Amino acid sequence: MGDVMIRAEGVSMRFRLGIEKGFSLKQGFVDLFDPKKRGGRRPNELWALSDLSFEVARGEVVGLIGANGAGKSTLLKIVAGVMKPTRGRLLAYGRICPMIELGAGFDEALTARENIFLNGAVMGYSKAFIRSRLDEIVAFSELGDFLEVPLRSFSSGMTARLAFSVATVVEPEILIVDEILAVGDLAFQRRSEERMLSMIRGGTTVLYVSHAVDSIRKLCGRVLWLDHGRILEIGEAESVCSHYENAVAETDGKEHTGI
Amino acid sequence: MQYIRNLAASLRQYGFLLGQLVTRDFKVKYKRSVLGVAWSLLYPLLTMAVMAAVFSNIFRVSTPGVSYVAYLLVGLVFFNYFSEASNLSMSTIVANYALISKVYVPKYVFPLSKCLFVGINFLLTLLPLYAVILLTGTGLCWQHLLLPYVYACLFLFTLGVGLLLATVSVFLRDMFYIYGIVLTMWMYLTPIMYDLDVIGNPALRALLKCNPLYQYISFARTIILAHRTPSPRQFAAAGASALLFLALGATAFKRRQDSFIYYL
Repeated sequence: MGDVMIRAEGVSMRFRLGIEKGFSLKQGFVDLFDPKKRGGRRPNELWALSDLSFEVARGEVVGLIGANGAGKSTLLKIVAGVMKPTRGRLLAYGRICPMIELGAGFDEALTARENIFLNGAVMGYSKAFIRSRLDEIVAFSELGDFLEVPLRSFSSGMTARLAFSVATVVEPEILIVDEILAVGDLAFQRRSEERMLSMIRGGTTVLYVSHAVDSIRKLCGRVLWLDHGRILEIGEAESVCSHYENAVAETDGKEHTGI
Repeated sequence: MQYIRNLAASLRQYGFLLGQLVTRDFKVKYKRSVLGVAWSLLYPLLTMAVMAAVFSNIFRVSTPGVSYVAYLLVGLVFFNYFSEASNLSMSTIVANYALISKVYVPKYVFPLSKCLFVGINFLLTLLPLYAVILLTGTGLCWQHLLLPYVYACLFLFTLGVGLLLATVSVFLRDMFYIYGIVLTMWMYLTPIMYDLDVIGNPALRALLKCNPLYQYISFARTIILAHRTPSPRQFAAAGASALLFLALGATAFKRRQDSFIYYL
């Protein structure tokens, strides 16, 4: 294996449901008179990830599969640096491009051109870099005629095209993809998919989440199967995918016979 | 030391974002108004005119020896900066929820960008302030060159309070309402439209002098109205209070920033 790009060492993530979100003075005051809740509300803990350890080498394309709530998105957020793990640590070396949220920080009142710069800045690029890629972004989005139009006049498809074009103009060292994003009209969808594929195949390190097992098989070298926050299996794509499909088919079958 | 180095590195990378956020605010603020940036100049002047009319004619407040209008405007310009910048900073973390939960961005850039944005406005309001200084015959002196020191103190103090408020308001949304009341109270307890000497009770007067904003405003008034160099004690009080609140706000923000995301 080449150099390690992502290393997870015993990564665990705990969410406290209930006490987090929504403490207000009113609630605190109401709770004072509720003897059950006095002395702090009981935390309802959920371990979204428990004790994950794995490594991803440079240039590897690793797929993440698992049912809803298995912890895939949480893991992506930790790799992207949005969340810090409760225990353990996660090291990611190199520039990360999270293709999770497109158009982060777009401002409706600003023009498309101004938003390109703002969005690029949010992703941590320099002014010189964005300026040098401006033509490429505009050309890919095909929004050249609307560059000086405020974003509030854009249709949602146009906004998504602009966002996609800004997000994919870089050559990141680590690319995080949560489903291949198909935005805009059919023609644009095809081009955006091509672009994603060329980024994935272009030698960057990729973490790719998808429920489409076929596309995982096609793109990924290794696959990590998450179940209730634990690694159920990690290894060669073909075998993990077929185990996963068997498991899904099995639970499906059980449910049917159960009725 | 390591902390400072990390901060410098992240400022270098995200300095452009900071600039973009400030220009965004500026563009959005004036985009749809006819007078645009002129409002930055007009607004404090008009507020001052109203307050001067009310306080000098109805309440008969006077500041012997110096122009009341100039006296009032110095206090207003300082207090307005603080109240607007701290108020805007407070809501930045909650308001940028969509961004913070999806992309890694150093979170301090949001309150910092608001303090800078209002800072540009503050510098613009110095134009009407100097116009009033000249028109009222208050006059200039070399000590005006010392004023940037107190502007810096005001900025650092406001940033500290803004960071603290942004942190607290994530966990306690009631802060948005509470702070509105606090600001109103703070405005009346700061000698903007009256002189501190009108307060008879010496204990209360001493207490009101602990207000950092009082320190900055009286520092500026010493120079602008009395044409004197502020005493070393005034220098020390302004600098110390600014650094103290900055340290307080930055520490609270830094310690809690990783858990913001669970409460947004």
